[in-house]
Amino acid sequence: MKFSENWLRQWTNPEWNANELAEELSLAGLEVDDVEPVAGEFTNVVVGHVVSMEKHPDADKLNVTQVNVGEEELVQIVCGAKNVQPGQKVCCAMVGAKLPGDFKIKKAKLRGVPSNGMLCGATEIGLPDDGVDGLHLLPEDAPIGMDVREYLELNDMSIDVDLTPNRADCFSVMGIARDVNAISGAGLTVPFEEKEMAGSTACSVEIDVQEPQACPKYLGCMVTGFNAKAETPRWMKQRLERSGLRPLSLTVDITNYVLLEMGQPMHAFDSDKLQGAVQVRMAQNGEKLTTLDEKEVTLSDDTLVIADDSGAIALAGIMGGLSTSVTDETTSIFFECAHFAPLAITGKARKYGLHTDSSMRFERGVDPQLPERALNRALSLLLEIAGGEVSAIDAKISAENIPAPAQITLRAKTVTDKLGVAVSAEQIEDIFTKLGFGIEAIDGGWSMTAPSYRFDMQIEMDLVEEIGRIYGYNNLPEDPVLAPITLRELPESEQELMALKTALVQNGYNEVVTYSFVEEKKQQAIAPDLPYVLLQNPISEDMKAMRTTLFPGLLQSIAYNQNRQQGRVRMFESGLVFYKNDQDETGATQVPMLAGAIVGPVAASGWDEKPRNADFFDLKGDVETLLRMSHQLGKIRFEACNNPALHPGQSASLMKDGKEVGIIGQLHPQLVKTMGVSGTVFMFQVRQDALLTMEIPAAEKISKFPEVQRDLAFVVEQSLPVQQLLDAVNVESEILRSVDIFDIYRGQGIEPDQKSVALTLKLQHQDRTLEDAEVESLVEQILQSAKSAVNAELR
Amino acid sequence: MQEELQSIIAEAKEAIKDVQDLGKLDELRVQFLGKKGALTGMMKMLGKLSAEERPKAGQVINEAKQTVQSLLNEKKRQLDDAKLAQKLAEETIDVTLPGRGVDVGSLHPVTRTLSRIETLFSKAGFTVETGPEIEDNWHNFEALNIPETHPARAMHDTFYINENTVLRTHTSGVQIRTMENKQPPLRIIAPGRVYRCDSDQTHTPMFHQVEGLIVEKNASFAQLRSLLIQFLREFFEDENLQTRFRPSYFPFTEPSAEVDISTDLFGEGRWLEVLGCGMVHPKVLENVGINPDEYTGLAFGLGVERLAMLRYNVKDLRQFFENDMRFLQQFK
Repeated sequence: MKFSENWLRQWTNPEWNANELAEELSLAGLEVDDVEPVAGEFTNVVVGHVVSMEKHPDADKLNVTQVNVGEEELVQIVCGAKNVQPGQKVCCAMVGAKLPGDFKIKKAKLRGVPSNGMLCGATEIGLPDDGVDGLHLLPEDAPIGMDVREYLELNDMSIDVDLTPNRADCFSVMGIARDVNAISGAGLTVPFEEKEMAGSTACSVEIDVQEPQACPKYLGCMVTGFNAKAETPRWMKQRLERSGLRPLSLTVDITNYVLLEMGQPMHAFDSDKLQGAVQVRMAQNGEKLTTLDEKEVTLSDDTLVIADDSGAIALAGIMGGLSTSVTDETTSIFFECAHFAPLAITGKARKYGLHTDSSMRFERGVDPQLPERALNRALSLLLEIAGGEVSAIDAKISAENIPAPAQITLRAKTVTDKLGVAVSAEQIEDIFTKLGFGIEAIDGGWSMTAPSYRFDMQIEMDLVEEIGRIYGYNNLPEDPVLAPITLRELPESEQELMALKTALVQNGYNEVVTYSFVEEKKQQAIAPDLPYVLLQNPISEDMKAMRTTLFPGLLQSIAYNQNRQQGRVRMFESGLVFYKNDQDETGATQVPMLAGAIVGPVAASGWDEKPRNADFFDLKGDVETLLRMSHQLGKIRFEACNNPALHPGQSASLMKDGKEVGIIGQLHPQLVKTMGVSGTVFMFQVRQDALLTMEIPAAEKISKFPEVQRDLAFVVEQSLPVQQLLDAVNVESEILRSVDIFDIYRGQGIEPDQKSVALTLKLQHQDRTLEDAEVESLVEQILQSAKSAVNAELR
Repeated sequence: MQEELQSIIAEAKEAIKDVQDLGKLDELRVQFLGKKGALTGMMKMLGKLSAEERPKAGQVINEAKQTVQSLLNEKKRQLDDAKLAQKLAEETIDVTLPGRGVDVGSLHPVTRTLSRIETLFSKAGFTVETGPEIEDNWHNFEALNIPETHPARAMHDTFYINENTVLRTHTSGVQIRTMENKQPPLRIIAPGRVYRCDSDQTHTPMFHQVEGLIVEKNASFAQLRSLLIQFLREFFEDENLQTRFRPSYFPFTEPSAEVDISTDLFGEGRWLEVLGCGMVHPKVLENVGINPDEYTGLAFGLGVERLAMLRYNVKDLRQFFENDMRFLQQFK
């Protein structure tokens, strides 16, 4: 809601300058977005009358004018404007004037002819562009010598207020003025005489309201015999412009003016173009209407229209139709001033793409008691400016459908408890008096009757808010929340995600945050088998699919950085992935994941080692760090897998209790180009729930007895995963402490389809020194197990 | 004999003086003190002396042996020192070269900010709750007093999945889920990603919010204000941070306010909006089965990127989601 400061000050005039006013409005909940002067800063520009003019002797494009500025002598001014003519009233900057941009007017000679001032165009004095190439012309009756700022009322500001949806009552100068009065106490005056304008002749257009629930009040009347060509007065145009509306024609300007002034939208029809009775009804499905802005809309039967016998002639409360619009030839109009219920209008403007000042107000709610006053105001303005005659006002009112003013009980205790400050009864009564409420004192509080324009008042807390708002939130005491001291649970068996993130950071990974929606095609390439969810209204086609894996986002970040000369990239991300699942109440299974990717050299710099690119085992080591931290190493096992995103020979599933909880591997070489990356990228992704549990340590006694070490080298099939050998070697035993691989060998002495795996066993007994016999017996057991399980032979 | 000993000592002294390696030194030890050494030979001559002369002579020879021995020891120490010094010199490295190991990465500034917020509130007894990001209309809108026809729905720039589900437009839904499942008193914060269908220089279609909720028997707007002022001062570590509570409107709180802050950092008189807050609307409490006459709810919502931008001097919101390493690495 944008309005002129001076206009507001006619209604209420607090002792605040424009900026203070803006601050106070903001602090009262009417957030001021912008305060803008209506014209640039300038001084000493007066209304001048061009008395005579002759060509400059030495310059084709210049004229020498004699200008009457109300002083004894005429002022000679050389002027280059194309449109200058004798007889015009113009804006004349005198010698000593200061124009916007710190431009000072001095005595000068132009091509030898003295010039003692300057005649100005609109933009030269910071006015809105008037579309004229040349001087800004003033009306003939502009008083000669008067300061232009004063004459054009330029000492004014356009104030733009961003209204919250509950404050529809402030969609007018009158509404803002009511609130300003409530916070300033400056008083409120209606700056015009409110008159009953209804005439005695009956309104010749019949009104038929078929939907009284949607339209509980419809006032209509005829105006005939007015001067259709009358010009909108300058003061009205000015206020419209300063409130962000373009002046169009008198009837439109008057309806817009009243809309801004009082908040009531209305519409004028050319009554000669009406056929039969004006009906307020629901549209028929498929019914067509061409609106004022020459758009044809096809209506559906949930839409309220104004119609005549020819069909729909207006979208009720939104926009009029072209066929019955008022034009220069119009000699009689039918004025509509109605109250439409918000529910009847809500969503329709969006549906038809027709957001208007009218729809915005009706959607949020207009004072149902306003139409009578507003119609009288509009009629009074029209008759004052263009003459004419008004018929009787035909009012179709369905009283039972007009919301009754809310009656709300306010308890004094509620105010103190909820706001946290004791506000005196006098203060409370004063606040609600200024806000226009009816107040009745009752036991322990008040019965408040909200004014008809405050339909946002529904419950006691609404009243508490009004008190807080006017009392000032910033005047509340600082008072800490009081609550019993209770210790919070501290589950030691839960791993913190932050600890895992920190571990990755220490290993050189940078955390990224990528969008949860990705390009559908890329997702299909990475995860062709996972069912995904699509957005109905994505920002763009490449942000349409909800991610089922964190890989596309990571790869996109890698590509972004590779395109900026970053050869070594290590990244991780944590966040949800979304699998389409109609069984879930949200239509998707939403799983928190942790994923990472690396590409390029292992180390940031290497001055003494040959740079080496990261490979599978570098990444696996980092993942194992996470598993180790979460006590999952050994519980989560790596098994070679076939994942469409990954290299079939360099990828593994992370398996826990027979279920896949993650994957790791090289990005499939065929996808490198598709994903826009370069080099060999290694990636992992693990379900967070698999990593976020830990065991609480239970310390074991440390054995005092010597440890025995045995090295065993096995020859197994080349293709055998070493894990299977380890499983076989790890026999049940109370003395076998650990099994570690210390060498893998292929080559001379070993058959080409075989490999040697050398293991170190560490043996120790808790309570005594081991005997040779039991060591040999265990080794024998291990050899047999390895032989039978994976056909391993001792080398 | 005395003379003979003196000359042996002098000879030994001279020989030891010029020795440069331990091998040679050992040869000298053998030459003078070994079984066939000069001084050992002198000892053998003792037998030829009288019983009276013998002790005296033995003592003199022993003294000479000790003298030579100490000369040898001294030389050995010198040679050892020199050898060690040489070894150390050979082992000298350029300690100014960088060490091996992986460079550390970085936590995303949003995570860093979230962590700071979570830590501040968890120290005051708040627990962290999370919820789904694809959310149903009930939790994202209806339970929060935003019915289908509410103008606030249109203001949310919602991403729709279908007619029943959306990408959550705020983390306020977690409030509902928590109140549905837990009994008051409650003190929670709900951090996370939220989505709005809006993308330009100052809007990204995804950003982060922290929603806070207190449900207590006695809670007031003054207390909410006090808590948030304290939070903002601690977050920015600025005791002189100025705050301004402006009445505003959210369908799920009543009264509602937006909070602006101002510090010397932003320049005088400049207010920047950082959060929204209010007292939970009685209808919202009723929607989750909490009696609004018995309990009062206080709620607030923080814009994480906004706080991160102010705290870390980030000028362009979009940088948070470009994931440029040169940006990320500044948050080591």
